[in-house]
Amino acid sequence: MRAANRGDAAAYHRLLTAITPLLRRVVQARGAALGPAGCEDVLQDVLLAIHSKRHTWREDAPLRPWLYAIARHKVVDVFRARGRRVELSIDDFTEALAAQTGPDPTDGRDMEKVLGKLDPRAAEIVRAFGLKGETTAETAARLDMSEGAVRTALHRALKSIARLRERMIE
Amino acid sequence: MRTEELISALAADTLPRQPVGWRMRRAMLVATAISLTAFALFWGPRPDIGAALGSLTMLKTLVPLLLLVLSMAFALALAHPGQRVTGHGAALGAMLALPLAAFMIALAREGQAGLVESLSTRSLVICLLSIPALALPLLVAMLRALSSGASLHPGLSGATAGLVAGSGAAAIYSLYCDKDMMLFVLPAYGTAIAGVVLLGAWLGPRHLRW
Repeated sequence: MRAANRGDAAAYHRLLTAITPLLRRVVQARGAALGPAGCEDVLQDVLLAIHSKRHTWREDAPLRPWLYAIARHKVVDVFRARGRRVELSIDDFTEALAAQTGPDPTDGRDMEKVLGKLDPRAAEIVRAFGLKGETTAETAARLDMSEGAVRTALHRALKSIARLRERMIE
Repeated sequence: MRTEELISALAADTLPRQPVGWRMRRAMLVATAISLTAFALFWGPRPDIGAALGSLTMLKTLVPLLLLVLSMAFALALAHPGQRVTGHGAALGAMLALPLAAFMIALAREGQAGLVESLSTRSLVICLLSIPALALPLLVAMLRALSSGASLHPGLSGATAGLVAGSGAAAIYSLYCDKDMMLFVLPAYGTAIAGVVLLGAWLGPRHLRW
């Protein structure tokens, strides 16, 4: 995390990958009723929260208490909001049931809706890093942007994603 | 989108984020400048300001300033999950208890009649309006800075932001106010600050959720 906050993308990637199985178990233990895809959506919300609040971890403090506090807060928050939504809407039930038979259990549904609301270029950049695993230089070359501009665009896009998902939950 | 794809996108976003404390200090500097300018334009210091600051009256300014520092530290700790806040909270609680104890002693000595007499002045209304007015820029600055943090208790964080703003405004207003009786300063300033705290507690859950 220390390396991540200093801009080491590889170390940050390892950290997020390492904590994800634990977070997934916590989410699934609490949210069996949401179905696998619903749980994955919650998990992605938690990861987004960890990402957008990463500067509130202090380098001299242990990482675990911070991580658990963020994750717990977000899980409780999301389940409270989604629980209400599921109760109110029958569509959500059928959607969750349909998703239960979906092929890929690590596939979230909400992210696609959110990416659809972003401006196309921002969504393209997020996809470029996520789906295609491109590097900054490759994306910059393909979209004819400077590397700095790609970095800034990705940063802004992730911020809007976090904001949009927040609104979607409410 | 699959979770590992999201992780790749998150990991690629390596732009550094500014620490909450840094944002808070910067926002508070700007807000204090705004409040001080408004104070210079519409209030101005009392004529005998030099003599007042050289006497015990300066406690009127010093105590709110101490409250400001302690409540800022508490608000900052609250914005960092996993950090212990009991130390900051205890210091702040002690600092709040002192003026309250002083008020009780003064009230016991001079009785309710003394309290009514001290507060029967036009200064009371001016005080109750001025402190919240001067506190508004500070409250906005605190809430904006705190919203980049990760408070697990938005209501408490908002109230603490209100305490920061209210004490800062009281310290500024004390340079104008020429009523120095304990039975005026403690209840009047206390009520004005409490109003800002309530406003902060109401705004907190609306602006500090994440």
